[in-house]
Amino acid sequence: MRKLTNFMKQQSKQFASVVKHPYFGFILFGLILLFTLYLRSMGLVTISIINAIVMTMIYSIIALGFSLLLGYGGMASLGTAGFVGLGSFIMGYFSGVLHYPLIYTLGISFGVAIVVGLIVGFISLRIEGMYLAIITLGLGEILRAFFISYDKFTGGYSGRQFRNFTLFGNAVSAQAVYIIITVLFVLAMIATLNIIKSPTGRALLAMKNSDSAAQSMGISLLKYRLLAFVISTVFAILAGMLYIMYIKFSYAPDWNLSFSLNILAAVIVGGAQSIAGIILGVFTIFGLNLAILNYIPFFQNNSALMVIFNGVLIIVVVMFYPGGLIRLLQTLKYKFVLFIKKLRIKWKVYKYGKDD
Amino acid sequence: MLVPGIDVALNQILIFVPALVVLYFLMDMLFFRKHLKRQLYRNKLINIILVVGLIGVFFFTIKAITMQMFLQIFLLNLVDLCVLVLATTGIVLIFKTSVTTNFAQGMMATFGAFFAANFVLYLTSNSSMGKTPKLFLGMFAGIVCASLLGLFVDVVIIRRGKHVSSVGKQMITMGLVLVLMGLIPVIFGTIAPSLEAFSVDVKLFQIGDMMLVIPYHNLYALVITVVVLAILFGALRFTKWGLGVRATASSEIVAGMMGVNTRVITAMSWAIAGGLGSIAAFLYASAGAQVQVASMIPVQVNAFMAAVLGSFSSFGGPIVGALLINLFSSVAPFYNDVWQSVIVYGVILLLVLAKPLGLFGKKTAKKV
Repeated sequence: MRKLTNFMKQQSKQFASVVKHPYFGFILFGLILLFTLYLRSMGLVTISIINAIVMTMIYSIIALGFSLLLGYGGMASLGTAGFVGLGSFIMGYFSGVLHYPLIYTLGISFGVAIVVGLIVGFISLRIEGMYLAIITLGLGEILRAFFISYDKFTGGYSGRQFRNFTLFGNAVSAQAVYIIITVLFVLAMIATLNIIKSPTGRALLAMKNSDSAAQSMGISLLKYRLLAFVISTVFAILAGMLYIMYIKFSYAPDWNLSFSLNILAAVIVGGAQSIAGIILGVFTIFGLNLAILNYIPFFQNNSALMVIFNGVLIIVVVMFYPGGLIRLLQTLKYKFVLFIKKLRIKWKVYKYGKDD
Repeated sequence: MLVPGIDVALNQILIFVPALVVLYFLMDMLFFRKHLKRQLYRNKLINIILVVGLIGVFFFTIKAITMQMFLQIFLLNLVDLCVLVLATTGIVLIFKTSVTTNFAQGMMATFGAFFAANFVLYLTSNSSMGKTPKLFLGMFAGIVCASLLGLFVDVVIIRRGKHVSSVGKQMITMGLVLVLMGLIPVIFGTIAPSLEAFSVDVKLFQIGDMMLVIPYHNLYALVITVVVLAILFGALRFTKWGLGVRATASSEIVAGMMGVNTRVITAMSWAIAGGLGSIAAFLYASAGAQVQVASMIPVQVNAFMAAVLGSFSSFGGPIVGALLINLFSSVAPFYNDVWQSVIVYGVILLLVLAKPLGLFGKKTAKKV
């Protein structure tokens, strides 16, 4: 008997070590998302919920890269839309039109991402704060003007179609794309967590609070700023490639200021320093309409109110919960735990009588 | 729009500008290298080189496209310049008092313009007024509407969000954009009744031996802008409100301690910014564009760039920035009409990289 309990204790210890592992939550989340696809194939989940999930995953990848800049580096960049668009058009042109193998396309896109990230990084060394936000906004506008003008590459005003995507010689179905996106999404979360917990993340955090103090502690501003921008651009371009894989269409004028602002809003609303918060924020900004509001009859009748609802939500969250939605959840959890404790004390008082 | 001499001008610029850059590095390396005041001399040299470079670029361009063409294009684009200057001034005013870039400026302006357009329509059907007074009344109604909106936004939202970081405030204005974007179609419908121009006639006049044409509408726009800006700058310079704005801009807390009612100052700034935006949107719409929900967004992006180019730290700088952007975008189509916006934004980017605080920005010492 004792042997059995010992064995069980050991087992539960091992189980705890698995559950408490930082990656466990991410992988479980990915498995749940994959399970949703299975539910879809059984017809239990509507297509708009699947769309909402995929959009949340793709935009979360962008927002994760962005949070490295904003939540950890303290640098606001509004050129995100341009980078995402660049990724989508690289995929659409090199894989869709020229039929390059995927590995070449990936190589090209990472090369472009590194070059663009280095350029923005060098700009960020010279310009700071609100000015950097507006200058990167200008960079985004340059990219958008480039997309609209260079119609051989992007399709101009008629957009770039991307229908016949093949991987290793086989046509890829929508389900396969969903699985690819989920896997990359989980990998992106793990990568972000690793970067945050590594010396790089700590250095970025130090730079956010004070440039001069960080430099005096021996942190190279040049190295870490460039690194942060390169990582964020790589994430954005990757997300752009996933976007065109799922939507199968990319339209140059769509990659405008309001897209970048939405990403920024998602990061701020969710909570810039927490991975769960970012995903929550992205879902609030991009997925809420598709997944929930579309099913409420009141919003179905007045579609303009959906936009107003989003706006009011952003304003209220930023004004009353500066730490983001995740802070709200943490407060609620804390209050809940306190409530349970109080209940237990009351139960004990009831059971054993008052402690004199 | 290709002009015969433009290739030569392009070549001249492509030699002239890099030559100036090389000159800067040579001077820096040979003469300033061991000087104690190296940074000061560098900044002065950058200023001189920028002025010489800009004059040179415009000189070569004007030589290629002729003075008459240049002035003509400038006069035809005058209304765009007025719109840009008004929008930029509104953004800078809000940046000074609330320390945030107001992304909702364009939407507030559009709200005013929608109200103005509907008011003009109402006047047309209910009274027998002449065209010009009708339009002026409409514009005035738009100004009042947008000012009230600005006041409302400040009193209800921005004032309560004082503790929010500046990025957070940006997000609040971003949420405001969404709210207004949803609200405008509910109140006014998606496309407002189109606004007429003040006059469709043009005026012919002569400078030297150049015959030039200016539309009367542009003249009206110019007069309105100059009058409004003159009143605004006069108020900033000579009234108590202006003193308050300048005090709040330098430090809100200290201004409050010195007895400045920063709440009233900020609220009035939002109201005035709304009014300026509304005039801008009205002029922009009546110059031929329809009043649409998204019609002010490109103007707003340009206004941000103008404000950064001229620096947020003064009121005059952004106006020069707006003028430069307007000149660049009227000259750029001569060089390449497909890539014009890329050229304009690229040039602005390079200028800001050369002077990170803007053309007229002053460096403020920061405590570590």
